[in-house]
Amino acid sequence: MQVTLKIFRYNPETDKKPHYETYKVEAEPTDRVLDLLEKVKGEQDGTLTFRRSCAHGVCGSDAMRINGMNRLACKVLVKDLGTDHITIEPLLGLPTVKDLVVDMEPFFEHYRSVKPFFINNDPPPQKERLQSPEERARFDDTTKCILCAACTTSCPSFWLDGQYVGPAAIVNAHRFIFDSRDQGAEERLKILADQFGVFRCHTIFNCTLACPREIQITKAIGEVRKAIATGRLD
Amino acid sequence: MKPRKVPTPGWNFEYLMWLFTRISGAAMLLLALIGFVGALIMGARYHMDLGTLMRWTFFPNPNHVLNSDIPDIAPWANAYWQIMQLLLVFFGATHGFNGLRLVLEEYIHSWGWQLALRLVLMILWLITLGAGFFLVLTS
Ligand code: FES
Repeated sequence: MQVTLKIFRYNPETDKKPHYETYKVEAEPTDRVLDLLEKVKGEQDGTLTFRRSCAHGVCGSDAMRINGMNRLACKVLVKDLGTDHITIEPLLGLPTVKDLVVDMEPFFEHYRSVKPFFINNDPPPQKERLQSPEERARFDDTTKCILCAACTTSCPSFWLDGQYVGPAAIVNAHRFIFDSRDQGAEERLKILADQFGVFRCHTIFNCTLACPREIQITKAIGEVRKAIATGRLD
Repeated sequence: MKPRKVPTPGWNFEYLMWLFTRISGAAMLLLALIGFVGALIMGARYHMDLGTLMRWTFFPNPNHVLNSDIPDIAPWANAYWQIMQLLLVFFGATHGFNGLRLVLEEYIHSWGWQLALRLVLMILWLITLGAGFFLVLTS
């Protein structure tokens, strides 16, 4: 089948304004959108710029807006889109560097702000810090995050001016807050109870819809909110 | 393993306002329903159009609605309806101004401006509350 791609183009060195360019490519229904981008870059226009790495939905490099939805280009098949007209744009809410590449730094700044690492100052035990399967299951969902930024950049609260810490940072805080081996919950919950923390979430659910890993993000945000409200971690 | 520490829940402003927004939203719906049903019970069935009914619903005080055509307005002029109105005014104004505060904080980046405008909002909120309460209590 023939597919028409409408791609957002912007080169800060030559363009005053971004524009859209249209490309026609031959595609199989089972091709991924990433394959089409590669085809355009390889066969039609070598200047097209986008990020990709693993091509298997693991590294989180190629989140972009595909027909208006935040998706990983390497996880969306042409037939899933149900149309032969595909519009591809960079993520919203982060500055566009070139074409489909956005500056991820504001995103990672929020990510770092919640201390997304294991905190436990006890001397490590001989072998390992044990945890029951139930305790492990408590935060299993939020361990799946690949930091692709699809959720945070789908969130209207984040679009406004990027002060909101954003769903991805909360998901990664949740992963440690509810880990029975971690002792940093107090610090993290204090950070998230702040003016631009969890209470900026208006329960819009865009993040949950956008997540390519199907993490129940809004639920995780609710659990963090509950921990702040009740002072309990169960 | 040491027990894990969590900050004691307390007077966290953002949390309280978040809670208040939800509670006041539901409360306003309930209060409006009470005013609405009250107006119907007190004879608004035959004489009122939608606009008048809305006025009674959201501001159930006979003195504020001159030609409501309600045959007997005496039942409205008591402390029960005054409390209803005070609650509606309080919930409505606070809910609304808190919403404005959020919009403002989300759009204005400069710390100084944010503080100044929050102060302005606070004053406007107090004036609105004052005017509303004055009207309800003196009429
Ligand atoms: S390229 Fe790695 S997630 Fe798509």
